[in-house]
Amino acid sequence: MSEALALNLLLFLPVIGGVLLLALPERRADLVRGLAMVVLLAQLALAAWLYLRFQAGVPGLQFETRLPWIPAWGVHYHIALDGLNLLLVLLTAFLGPIVVAGAFTSITKDVKLFHGMVMFIQFTMLGTFLAQDLFLFYVFWEAMLIPMFLMIGIWGGERRIYATLKFFLYTAFGSILMLAAIIYLAHTVLSADGTPSFAFADLYELGLGVQVQTLLLAAFALSFAIKVPMVPLHTWLPDAHVEAPTAGSVILAGVLLKMGTYGFLKLGFPLFPDAALLATPLIMTLAVISIIYGAGLALVQDDIKKIIAYSSVSHLGYVMLGLVTYNLLGVQGAIIQMVSHGLVAGGLFLMVGMIYERCHSRDLADYGGLAKLLPAYSVFFMILTLAAIGLPTTSGFTGEFLVLLGAFHSAWPQFEQGVSYPLVLASLAVLGIVLGALYMLRLARRLLFGEARAPVAGLRDLSLREMGILGVLVLAVFYIGLFPNDFLQKTEQAAMEYQERILAARDGEVER
Amino acid sequence: MTPEGLFVAALPEHLLLLGILAILVIDLVSDRPRDPFLPALVTVLAAAGAAFWLHRIGYVGAPFPGQFSVGSDALAAKAVLFVLTVPVLFLARAERLDSRVAMLLLASLYGAGLMLSADSLLMLFFGLELLSLPLYALVVLAFRRPESAEAAMKYLVLGGVGTAVLLMGISLTLGSTGGLSVEDFRAALAADDFLARGAVVLVVAAFMLKAAVVPFHAWAPDAYEGASVPVTAYMATIVKGAVILALVRLFGDAGAGPELLAVLVALPLLSMVWGNLAAMRQQGFRRLIAYSSIAHAGYLFFALLGAPEGRFEAVTFYVIVYGLTNMLAFACLPKGEDWLRDRLDSLKGLYHRDPRAAILIAVAMLSLAGIPPFPGFVAKFLIFRTVMEAGLVTVAVVGLVASYLGIYLYLRVIQYMFMSPEPARVHTQPATGFAATAALLTLAAVLLVGVFPGVVLGWL
Repeated sequence: MSEALALNLLLFLPVIGGVLLLALPERRADLVRGLAMVVLLAQLALAAWLYLRFQAGVPGLQFETRLPWIPAWGVHYHIALDGLNLLLVLLTAFLGPIVVAGAFTSITKDVKLFHGMVMFIQFTMLGTFLAQDLFLFYVFWEAMLIPMFLMIGIWGGERRIYATLKFFLYTAFGSILMLAAIIYLAHTVLSADGTPSFAFADLYELGLGVQVQTLLLAAFALSFAIKVPMVPLHTWLPDAHVEAPTAGSVILAGVLLKMGTYGFLKLGFPLFPDAALLATPLIMTLAVISIIYGAGLALVQDDIKKIIAYSSVSHLGYVMLGLVTYNLLGVQGAIIQMVSHGLVAGGLFLMVGMIYERCHSRDLADYGGLAKLLPAYSVFFMILTLAAIGLPTTSGFTGEFLVLLGAFHSAWPQFEQGVSYPLVLASLAVLGIVLGALYMLRLARRLLFGEARAPVAGLRDLSLREMGILGVLVLAVFYIGLFPNDFLQKTEQAAMEYQERILAARDGEVER
Repeated sequence: MTPEGLFVAALPEHLLLLGILAILVIDLVSDRPRDPFLPALVTVLAAAGAAFWLHRIGYVGAPFPGQFSVGSDALAAKAVLFVLTVPVLFLARAERLDSRVAMLLLASLYGAGLMLSADSLLMLFFGLELLSLPLYALVVLAFRRPESAEAAMKYLVLGGVGTAVLLMGISLTLGSTGGLSVEDFRAALAADDFLARGAVVLVVAAFMLKAAVVPFHAWAPDAYEGASVPVTAYMATIVKGAVILALVRLFGDAGAGPELLAVLVALPLLSMVWGNLAAMRQQGFRRLIAYSSIAHAGYLFFALLGAPEGRFEAVTFYVIVYGLTNMLAFACLPKGEDWLRDRLDSLKGLYHRDPRAAILIAVAMLSLAGIPPFPGFVAKFLIFRTVMEAGLVTVAVVGLVASYLGIYLYLRVIQYMFMSPEPARVHTQPATGFAATAALLTLAAVLLVGVFPGVVLGWL
C-alpha cells in the first residue's frame, strides 16, 4: 500500500466506521463500542506506520494527495503530512481508542450517537491537521464544532446547554472573521496570479503589504486564540470542560485546543510573517499572561475539573511562547509541548472522570487520602501530576524546557541590544513553572494525602481496563520524556522552514 | 421568428400549460376527485427536463422580440426552480391536497417562467402577478386553521401594495426614459434625474416586498404560518428564488448607482440582522422559517452588489442550496395535527422518537446556518466572495457578522431535538410515504451539492 493511500484511509476510516455504526441496532451497545474500538485501533496502526515511514530531513510535504474539488475556484482536496502535523496526527489517532475505552462505562445513553460523534470528531480533527488547502482547512475546522456541540450538549452535566452554546457561539465568532479573511485572501490570489488557488504553498508566496497582513492576521489570530485559548479569550473553556462528559474533555484538552496553536504555527504566522513580527511582543505578553493567570486561577479552584481546565490555559501559554521565539529550540519545544499536554491533560481528565464515576463529586473538599483508599489510582495520578509539573524524564519537561531555552535564546541577544522585555517575559514564564508545581501539588496533596475520606464508602480501585488506558498514556509520557530524539528529528526540518519563513521577513525589513 | 422557435423557446412553459389543462380535463371528465399528483409530477419533471436540455444544448432564442427571450441563464434558472418544485408536490401529496392546489402551483410556476424570460417591464409585471395571484388562493385553500383566511388576506393586501408600487415604478420608468423595455430600466439605473431614481427605487422596493426584505417583510411570518406546509415551502423557496432571479435578470450587466447602492447595502443588512434576531424568539416552526427566510432574502439581495458576471451564479447556487435545505426540513417534520407539528416544542426529544428525521432536520438547520461541511456554507461563501470582489470589503465583513447572528436560532432547533427531554404528550408520528420520499430525494440532492459543489457550479 502506498503511503498516500494510507493517509487517505487514515482520514476516512472514521467516516467508514460511522456509516457501519448506522447499520448496527441501537440496543447492541457492546457491538457499537467494539466496532468503534476496532476502527480507531486500525486508525492508530495506520498512523503509527505512517509515522515510521515519515522521512526526517526531507523538506516540504510527504505522502501528498491533491485532487480538484471545486475546479472553478481552485479549491483542491489536498492532504499531506509534514513535520508540523505529523505528531499531532499521531496524537489524535492515539487518543481515539483511549476516548472510546474511557467511555465504556460512563456513556450509557444514546451509545450509538455518541460513538458516531467520536468518529465525526476524529474525522474533522484529522482533516484539519492534514489539510493543505485553506478552503478544505476551514471546512474541517468549522465542521469540528458540530460533534463537539452535540457531545457536550447531550452527555454533559447540569449546565450543559449553556456551556455548549457558549462553546459554539464563542468559537464560531472567531471563525466568521477568519472566513472573511479567507475570502479576502482568495480574492487577492486571484487578482495577483489570475488563477484561483487556496493552496497553503501559494498563499505563503503572496507577499502582502504589512497593513493588509496585520488585518488578516488579526482575523485569523482571533479565531486561533479563542481555540487555544489565550487570556482574555479563555472564558468558554472552563464551562465547556466542566460540563463536558469525560470523553469530551479528553478530546477538548487532548486535541481540540491544539487546533489553535497549530493554526498559528501552520497558517497565522507563516502566512503573514511581517505582521507576526510586529505582533510578537503582544503575543508574547499574552502568552506569559496566560501562563501566569491560568496558573493563578488553577491555584484557587476547588472543582478538580476546573483546576485542570485552567492548567490547560497555562500550559498552552508555553506553546504560544515557543512559537514566537522563531528559533528551532522554541518551535520544536512548542510542538513537543502540544503533544505532551494532550497526553497529560487528557490523562488527568480521564482520571477525574474515573473518580467522578465512583463518587459523583468533583469538589476537592469531598476528598482526602485517596492514596490509602485507591493506591493504584493514586500512583497514576501522581505520575501524571509530576508530568504536568514538568519533572525531568516526563514529556512535560522536554516541552517546557525546550520552550524556555528557546525563549532565553532569542531574548538574550535582544537584551544585549537594549531590548529587555523578552528577557523579562521569559523570566516570568519560568515563574509559571513554580506556580504549576504549586497548584498541581496542592491538588495532589488534598486529593491523595491527609485524612482518608471520600463521598462514597467502599470505593473500588482501578479496573484492569482503566489501568490499561492509563498505563498506555503513562508509557507515552515517559517515552517522550526519555527519548524525545526521534520526535525532534522528524519535526526539525519543518520547524526550520517555519523559522526561515518568518526570519526572511525580518531580514527583508532590515534591508528596507 | 420561426414557428419552431415559438414552440421551442417557451417549451417548458408550454409543458406547464399542457399539464394544467390535463389536470383540469381529468377533473372535469371524472366523476370523483382524482389524485393530481402524478400528472403534476410528470408535468414539472418534463418542464424541468426541457429547460435543462435547452440549457445544455446552448439554446438562445427570442420568439417575441422585446418581450420574451431565453438564453443560458434564463433556462438554468427555470430548470432550478422547476426541479425544486418536485419535493413540494410530494409534500402536497402527503397532505392529500386536491387538484386545485396542483393547478394553482403549476400556474404560479408558469408565472415564474415568464418572469425569468421577460424582456420588458410589462412582461415582467405579468409574470410576477401570475406568480403571486395563485398564491393568495393557495394560502386559503389548504385551509387548516382559522388564521389561514386572515393570513391570506394580509398577504393579498400587501401583495396588492407591492403590485401598485411596481406599476408606479414602471410608469415612472416610462416617464423618464420613454420606453418599457429592460434596457430602458437599465438606462434609468444609470440616469441621474429624479424621475429615473424614483422609478428604480419603486421597482426595487416592489421586488423586496415580494421577497420579504426588511422593512417590507411584515406579511411573511403570518402568511407562512397560515399556509400549509407545502405552500409555505413553495413560498419560502421557489417564489423567493424566482423574484430575486428575475431582479438579477432585470439588472443585467448594469451596476447600481451610489444612492441605490446604499439601499442595496443597508436593507439586506437590516434584513439579516432583524430576521436572525426575530427568529430567535419564535415558538412556531413556520414562523421561524419565515424570519430565517427574511434573513436569507438579505443574503440573496447582497449578491446584487457583486459584479454582473458573478451575480447569476451566486444567486442561483444559493437558491438551489437554500431551497433544498428548506425542503429537507419541511419534509422531515413529524406528522400530526397541523398546529401541533408546527410548534417548536413538539420537536423536543425528536431524536428519541425518530432519529432519522432529527438528524436530517439537524443537517438542514446547520446548512441554513452556513456551517460546513453542508452546502449552505459554499453558498454563503460564494455570495460574500461576490460582494468582496466588487471591492466592498467592509460590507462583506459586516454581512458575515450579521450572518453569525443566525447561528443561534438554528442551534436552538438542534438543541430541542437532541438535548431536551421529551414533552409529556406529543401525538406526532414520524413522516412516512410521500413526505419521506421527498426527504430522501432532497437529501440525495443536498449530498450531491454538498460533496461536489463544483459539478453543480459547472452546470450553471
